[in-house]
Amino acid sequence: MGAAGVTSTIDRIAHSNRWRSRSLVEKSALAFGLLAVSLAFPPWPTAAVVLVVAVAATVGAAGVPVRAWALAMAAPMGFVVTGAATLLVTVGADGLGIAPNGLGEAVALTLRAGAATAAMLTLALTTPATDLVAGLARLRVPAELIELALLIYRFLFLLGDTLATMQAAQEARLGHVGWRRRIRSSGLLAANLLPRALDRAHRMEAGLAARGWSGGPLRVLTPRRPVSAAGLASVVAMLAALTALGVATR
Amino acid sequence: MSLIRAEGLSHSYPGGVPALDRLDLAIERGRRLAILGSNGAGKTTLLLHLNGTLKPTGGRILIDEAAVRYDRAGLAAWRRRVGLVLQDADDQLFAPSVAEDVSFGPMNLDLPDAEVGTRVAEALAALDIADLAERPTHMLSFGQKKRVAIAGAVAMRPEVLLLDEPTAGLDGRSAKRLLATLADLERGGTTLVFTTHDVDMAFRFADDAALFDRGRVIGCGEAKAILADAGLMDRAGLDAAGG
Repeated sequence: MGAAGVTSTIDRIAHSNRWRSRSLVEKSALAFGLLAVSLAFPPWPTAAVVLVVAVAATVGAAGVPVRAWALAMAAPMGFVVTGAATLLVTVGADGLGIAPNGLGEAVALTLRAGAATAAMLTLALTTPATDLVAGLARLRVPAELIELALLIYRFLFLLGDTLATMQAAQEARLGHVGWRRRIRSSGLLAANLLPRALDRAHRMEAGLAARGWSGGPLRVLTPRRPVSAAGLASVVAMLAALTALGVATR
Repeated sequence: MSLIRAEGLSHSYPGGVPALDRLDLAIERGRRLAILGSNGAGKTTLLLHLNGTLKPTGGRILIDEAAVRYDRAGLAAWRRRVGLVLQDADDQLFAPSVAEDVSFGPMNLDLPDAEVGTRVAEALAALDIADLAERPTHMLSFGQKKRVAIAGAVAMRPEVLLLDEPTAGLDGRSAKRLLATLADLERGGTTLVFTTHDVDMAFRFADDAALFDRGRVIGCGEAKAILADAGLMDRAGLDAAGG
């Protein structure tokens, strides 16, 4: 399960990096600020500088391993590069041709999208999904949506484990030899996962009830991470400098 | 006066055979009770009845000799006194981090945040997992999850702690450590009731034992006597202790 693997890698890093306990306000100001700068100004040189700043923040300051960063970048960049490649060619009356300025546009698009993706990763790789959801709660997103998101998050890993176990059991009985059998086994796997998920949900409900839950909101005590004035000031200064660069080179 | 008493308790799952069949059992304050029986004998079903998760189809449950109520207020009061830890900790842990998960029960008691924080710290310390407070629940080992699940119940400071197979799946040393922790909890005033397949563990750890067979108690009394009774144990589908 490639996607599940990446999810759990991102999750593990989000929980164990040096910026784990920094306030969500500081991290989201940086991420969304970098995103805005990379979108607002021409890609060269602003997006290139944003990319460098984002990598320096994520890998250098927060200590996210380069490999993990590259892994997280790989999937979105795959789409970006595929999209950018279409800018290289043009379809006209005389058929397929090489687009004038195509290369320049493709590079500019890739650079801008890369910078924007890296900007979002400064948040995604340093902040557990649960902190993000807690942040949404403070923004007054309805509690039902938040609980749903938390439970999906929790079940993602439980189902991932179940899936891996069931798949290993199928493989041990040669269920994945040959594409025909692979498709059949995968179908069986998917079909069996639903009743298992429902069964687990049912038992979890009993577990929650046992701790006094009677159907209302699922309340827990969420730790608060105070905003550091110095941290926030440095983020604002960095964004101001990038904006100045963008304006000067426009 | 018994702390909890089940009187003629019956329960049938929809379309299935009866899981409990006119069962009588008393839980005495301060006595460790082990419930043993083969698979499907009704042990887990009984635990789910003892804290109101399941409602009997016949018979009744009394706490301090007063019949329990199944309305919202009655269940809340009941679960405040009787904690339950499920066999599979993954069925119980739902919150993103250990501390948050443990805070769930106290939050449901409508305690102020400061008191919830105190209870969480206390429960984590009691289970020897204070260092895991910030850890996401899906990044824990099997044994750690088990401790977190127990801490979640302990944080509600129940009088009785019901544990479904507390040592199942744990290696010998972890099981021993967990039992020592449970013994500490008991010294703090919690009455322990647990189901198990491990006859030797029950022999060493329990004060009393109840043997289950097909939804009925076929023997109950001092653990040392009951678990060494080869005939009785054979009827329950188990090997006698030391045999």
